[in-house]
Amino acid sequence: MTFSMKRLLAIFNKDYKDLTRNLYVSFTLLVPLVLAAVFGRQGIDSIDLYYMVFNMALCLVAAYIQCSLIAEEKEKNTLRGLMLSPASTMEILVGKGLLSFVTTILVIGISAYFLGYMPENLLIVSLGIILSTVFYIALGTALGLVTRSVMEASVIIMPFVFIFSFGTSLSVLAEKYPILQAADYLPNSQLIMIAKEVEMGTGLAELWSHFGIIGLWVIGMALITMVIYRKRMVD
Amino acid sequence: MESIIEVKSLAKLFSNQAALENVSFSVKKGETFGFLGPSGSGKTTTIKILTAQLVPTDGEAYVFGVPTSKLKNPEMRKKIGVLTDNSGLYARLSVFDNLKLYCDLYDVPYSRIDEVLEMVNMAGERKKVISKLSRGMLQRVTLARAFLHKPELLFLDEPTSALDPVNTRHIYRGLERLKEEGTTIFLTTHDMNEAEELCDRVAFLNKGKIQLLDSPLALRRKFADHTVTVELSGGEKEVIDMGPAGAKALHEYMSENKVTSIYSNEPTLGDIFVEVTGRKLS
Repeated sequence: MTFSMKRLLAIFNKDYKDLTRNLYVSFTLLVPLVLAAVFGRQGIDSIDLYYMVFNMALCLVAAYIQCSLIAEEKEKNTLRGLMLSPASTMEILVGKGLLSFVTTILVIGISAYFLGYMPENLLIVSLGIILSTVFYIALGTALGLVTRSVMEASVIIMPFVFIFSFGTSLSVLAEKYPILQAADYLPNSQLIMIAKEVEMGTGLAELWSHFGIIGLWVIGMALITMVIYRKRMVD
Repeated sequence: MESIIEVKSLAKLFSNQAALENVSFSVKKGETFGFLGPSGSGKTTTIKILTAQLVPTDGEAYVFGVPTSKLKNPEMRKKIGVLTDNSGLYARLSVFDNLKLYCDLYDVPYSRIDEVLEMVNMAGERKKVISKLSRGMLQRVTLARAFLHKPELLFLDEPTSALDPVNTRHIYRGLERLKEEGTTIFLTTHDMNEAEELCDRVAFLNKGKIQLLDSPLALRRKFADHTVTVELSGGEKEVIDMGPAGAKALHEYMSENKVTSIYSNEPTLGDIFVEVTGRKLS
């Protein structure tokens, strides 16, 4: 399989230019930042609250923006042009995900600054956030590929934003409804668990199960995305 | 001569409805091949199969000797240019930025952008934002993008459908230039004049089946009734056979200085299509 950095960066540069002129999508970037600024000014010091903002950034920036970019490419028939070009599936998907990735990491970084969050072990937390970002980008890509327009994408992403932003709150009801214990295995819950354990001084070697669960979500979603993409290559 | 496209017994069903039935043809290197037919006759379906955007229900299709299912290889993609109804442009970006992306994807120098814009009569419009362009201009930018990388094989689905006569003529000159450079062109159209002007051979497609396939000249000769119409000074018209008897009659009219106009009754491709299929090309 060939892989061209030039083609990948060409797609990234095009998306960057396009996004800077797309007020509808770029406005979404401000939501977690505003929330972080408000919480930060109130001096709130809670991992759950920090990660509510970070998970919202992952949903709105990584998943939603990615979903909108892909859905718009489909709606305007530009995705087919890319598919018919020499760019491979990997170059297109990574090229299109790169902008969402960089933007998400920037938004989470700035949000952490506004919130005054400084983890005990930045490396471990960063690894968790990077892995989660990849999952949300794959989720956004898959949802963008199954929708026909940006409008449809905005609707279809909503339940996922709810589950992955606020899904952790469901475990509170787990005593009454045991099935809700499954919420503990959501990638956002795993990320919070990593962050909490890091604050207690836990090292990377003891956190492998949380990383493993997020890793499984990443692999599963990446496979689903690949299958949908290949189906979308033909009418 | 080497065949660039080879299609054997191609069939495509959409929910049990046949869009293509037993379609077979080949396109030679450097040839401009026209697929003529009204809307819904299967022209776009054929292009989509040949560019691996659709999987045929039955039959075989080869491009550059390779089955269409194997066309995803980047080197193969570089040999092919496509303009179909689903070729879109990035509305918020300029003409230049749209073409620059494809220069990078196809490994083409940016200097080629001005060349192709000149070919589609859009020199000097590179900074315009796509969302501000008219339908005709969009069509021309999309066309420029299709031959930006000097493809060996160009698929054009109704390339001048949104263009005015001046720009249509400009595109024809551009396509003739590509042909001179050796590009093989597969063109679908329902414009018989376009087919006559550009195509070396044409296939008439009707309800998913090829009804006729030959050069425009050979088809016109085959369906000609070998008569001319003579308009006389009195305003009357006379249809004269092109045999010896007709020549004699024509000679007499001309000696008497009665002839105001003579024109051939050779059918156009449109006339032939209607005669063969009973349908109009629109």
